[in-house]
Amino acid sequence: MSLNFSSKAKVQIKEIIKRYPEKQSALLPILHLAQKEFGYINNEVEKLVAEILEIKPIKVREVVTFYTMFYQKPIGKYHIKVCKNISCSLHGAENLINYISKKLGIKVGEITQDQKFTLSTVECIGACEHAPCMQINSEYYGNLDEKKIDLILERLTNNTND
Amino acid sequence: MIEEKLITKNLEVENLYKIEIYQKYNGYQALKKALLQMTPNQILEEVKKANLRGRGGAGFPAGVKWSFVPKHTNKPKYLCVNADEGEPGTFKDRFIMTNNPHLLIEGIIITCYCVGIHTAYIYIRGEYEHVAQRLEGAVQEAYQNNYLGKNILNTGFSLNLYIHRGAGAYICGEETALLESLEGKRGHPRLKPPFPASVGLYKCPTVINNVETLSNIPVIVLKGGEWFVKKGLPKDGGTRLFSISGSIKNPGIYELPTGTNLKDIIFNYAGGLKEGRELKAVIPGGLSAPILKADEIDIPMDCESIMNINSMLGSSAIIVIDNETPIIHVLKIIVNFYAHESCGQCTPCRNGTWWMKNIVKRIYEGHGKLRDIDNLLRIADNIYGKTLCPMGDAASMAVQAVLEKFREEIENYIQGRK
Amino acid sequence: MIEIKLNGKKHKIKENLTILEAAKQVGVEIPHLCYHPALEPEGSCRMCLVEIKGVPKLQLACSTQVKDGMEIETDNQRVREAREAVLEFLLASHPLDCPICDKAGECKLQDYYYKYGLFEDYFEEEKPKRCKLVRIAPNLILDQERCILCTRCVRFLKEITKTEELGVFNRGNESFISIYEQELIENNYSGNLVDICPVGAITDVDFRFKMRNWFLEKKKTICPICSRGCNINIHFLPNSFPFKKDKRVFRITSESNPKINGFWICNLGRYNYHYIDNDRILIPLKKDRELKEISWKEFYEQVGNKIKVLIQRKREERIGVIVNLSLTNEEYEVLNVFFNQCLVGSEIAVFGRKKGKSDGFLLTEERNPNTKGAKKFGFIEKKIDIKNFFNKKELVILFGNEIIEHYSIQLLSEILSNVKTKILIATTKGTLINLFDYILPSTVVPEKEGSFTNCQGIIQKFKRVLEPLGKSKSELEILTSLAQKSGIWKSFLLERRIS
Repeated sequence: MSLNFSSKAKVQIKEIIKRYPEKQSALLPILHLAQKEFGYINNEVEKLVAEILEIKPIKVREVVTFYTMFYQKPIGKYHIKVCKNISCSLHGAENLINYISKKLGIKVGEITQDQKFTLSTVECIGACEHAPCMQINSEYYGNLDEKKIDLILERLTNNTND
Repeated sequence: MIEEKLITKNLEVENLYKIEIYQKYNGYQALKKALLQMTPNQILEEVKKANLRGRGGAGFPAGVKWSFVPKHTNKPKYLCVNADEGEPGTFKDRFIMTNNPHLLIEGIIITCYCVGIHTAYIYIRGEYEHVAQRLEGAVQEAYQNNYLGKNILNTGFSLNLYIHRGAGAYICGEETALLESLEGKRGHPRLKPPFPASVGLYKCPTVINNVETLSNIPVIVLKGGEWFVKKGLPKDGGTRLFSISGSIKNPGIYELPTGTNLKDIIFNYAGGLKEGRELKAVIPGGLSAPILKADEIDIPMDCESIMNINSMLGSSAIIVIDNETPIIHVLKIIVNFYAHESCGQCTPCRNGTWWMKNIVKRIYEGHGKLRDIDNLLRIADNIYGKTLCPMGDAASMAVQAVLEKFREEIENYIQGRK
Repeated sequence: MIEIKLNGKKHKIKENLTILEAAKQVGVEIPHLCYHPALEPEGSCRMCLVEIKGVPKLQLACSTQVKDGMEIETDNQRVREAREAVLEFLLASHPLDCPICDKAGECKLQDYYYKYGLFEDYFEEEKPKRCKLVRIAPNLILDQERCILCTRCVRFLKEITKTEELGVFNRGNESFISIYEQELIENNYSGNLVDICPVGAITDVDFRFKMRNWFLEKKKTICPICSRGCNINIHFLPNSFPFKKDKRVFRITSESNPKINGFWICNLGRYNYHYIDNDRILIPLKKDRELKEISWKEFYEQVGNKIKVLIQRKREERIGVIVNLSLTNEEYEVLNVFFNQCLVGSEIAVFGRKKGKSDGFLLTEERNPNTKGAKKFGFIEKKIDIKNFFNKKELVILFGNEIIEHYSIQLLSEILSNVKTKILIATTKGTLINLFDYILPSTVVPEKEGSFTNCQGIIQKFKRVLEPLGKSKSELEILTSLAQKSGIWKSFLLERRIS
């Protein structure tokens, strides 16, 4: 059974490829799509994407490993990315990272047992006026403190729909 | 004094990002004037007169950049909008794209008309997923209103605008790395020369401009370059969107004339430091800008003035550091950032940033030696001027400034005192 | 022509050169790692930074074009300091493997450090740990700790072989080069990666740990594997090497020749050098119920006499010669005089190595080094009735073993059994050795001098670079000496003077 994109995604891919005079330009947008569809980018996905763009799988992996937003291993349903750069650090980001780490029982870079959360630290995500910030999947959360984090994590833990 | 707002004008209006609201407030009037009443040359002249310097960090005059594109060429020309906004402390472009996306789009269309470009890409950092969605919505609205696509306003001018998301690499904010990334490759900066104006995207002539830079184009077209210059300084026209964050009472975006005093911005506009805190240092233009001590901030915020005190205006992102923050933390963040973001292509940056990171880690964890400071300075100096792209210089200067200006504090830290 | 100033001296040079190329032309060396003349400039190692008057930043010599009036400094303090900085950065991440690294002695990092470095060591951190034994090809091992990310290997596989088996992964100092999954590099030019790697990151399985390169002598010759005639260097132990080894030649590298093979050689030519030392016939042998050693003198006299007798009886047609397509032009000339002109009636057949597949680049279909040369003297491979050829032959001389590619050993054994005197002149023993009465050792290409005409029609002269092994002699020597004892010497000399 070989891996393939959903028909909806295939339509999107066709449209994406049309935007560029050279096919390889569609690599990043398609990898974003692949990440959404398959959760992470393993060698099967690499080969699938390579085939669509008529490039070698090695070129796909070169790109996947360069950019921080593409993952080669499964990540939690909610990927918590806490900013550790300057403005957030000035607002105690380190402490918050430790707090989340203890609360979830995982170290930075690890995934919880129930596969619900992965904790990462990231560089500046461009929301410094709300420091300290974190991004969970695509959502931004700012002006964080331990209480807020508790509320957010609780809501996500209880969230049963995708 | 109430400063005139150019970009942040009308931001209090709800739903300004919707085209019907935007048009109610003079939206797309500049586009109509440009396409229906002006020639590309006339627009270029206004932009040159405006002395609009790039707002991304390099500060290169936009009009001059556009004039480098060959007029007669068989190749298609491209515009790449640099919405990568990776410089720590900077969030002004996110601000514009979220609250006033049509202003950017209007600026893009006028620019493309001026330079003869028919395909434009907005390269937006991957993390700004929701911002990209909002932009996408605005782009669709522009197409529906014949401001994009074929035969815009029946002038025969056609333009396609696409949004292209990055995927988490600060280096893709460097213009040639941006091009590589847009072409579907690793974000490795290219050798210059040749410059993108002649050999850019897909080896074709390309203009790359920052979001804020392009957002100034509509007002320049409407009010003229001379008017625009007067809003700032003779060699550095217009206003700037200052992002201010850190240990400050009122963090946020402040649109102020170029040349506004840094001390004023911090204490008068942004409310000064938080309760009980004193100013220790300020980073004036994003993490890459060499740090300033508390007694160095009485300075106008324009490209030249900041350069004269050996720092840079960069992305106009002001980061305020108070006296409760040990400077070693700042140093650690700086070296970690550049080591993490180095693309790895050239020797000095790849090895140098890694080396500095490891030394600072050792110092931070209590195993530092006094000679590490001089070694760090030596390494930073060895990186400077020898790298393939300016990121090496940024890492070098940022580190050197912290070490030179706060040497005593770091020595004390190493020796185990506070 | 334009004029530039290099280190204070004026030079007139061609336009459209880079500073590095121009400097090389006038004998000034600018150190470089990522630059290679066959590849597009990369500009990432930063080793070639030089100072140009009037330009504030140091510039890359490998990618900056010279302009008329340019003044360049390649050796002032500023440039030297920049070089030291680059070397220091490279060494900071580089393992101190020299004692166990094959590249020691021919390593650019060592060479440059010795010439441009020699600075104090300020590095006190732990060096990065990576995989030291990545099998990237059946014949190649990659040590990711030693890799300096010059990307010559990656670019070679992209620009030259266009196969892209290697890539750069991760970012910053986490970057590393590797293959994709287990997809090994299996193209016919992978061996060149060892040569172009400036350090010991890519090593050859064939050469790894076998010999220190400073013990080896390096001499130029021609590769005899196909008709391209690539220029190669054989690396061998000179007689002065104090310890006994079972072979002389340890490796082959390419010698650049812009007209023929550019900078490269194929793997077939690179790795098939065992014919030089292995399985060689070392002494002349004669079958007397069993093979016994004879002297060359005895051979010339005995066989020479047999030829004399056949001439006297006007039975030249009883003499058959089978030549291959690996002899030199000079040898074909002598063969032509000896048999076609002096022994009119004698029959010559040609059997070369069978055709192979061309690889679309250097390796030709034609797998004999001198087919064109042979053709010039009328030696062309044709299909013949082999039984008929040997039928009624009293004396047969076979040059080389190639005939075994065309006929089975049983058939050859059968048809040769009727020939009175069978002479084999070859380099390796092979399977035919038991079928012949006289077995004479000939020399391999590096052990003789002469010329080959390659597939493009280019005549390439080569000199002897190795001493003949054992008592082997070149076919030219053998034929000349035999002619002296065959009663045809006068006409032989006469015909040779004419041709």
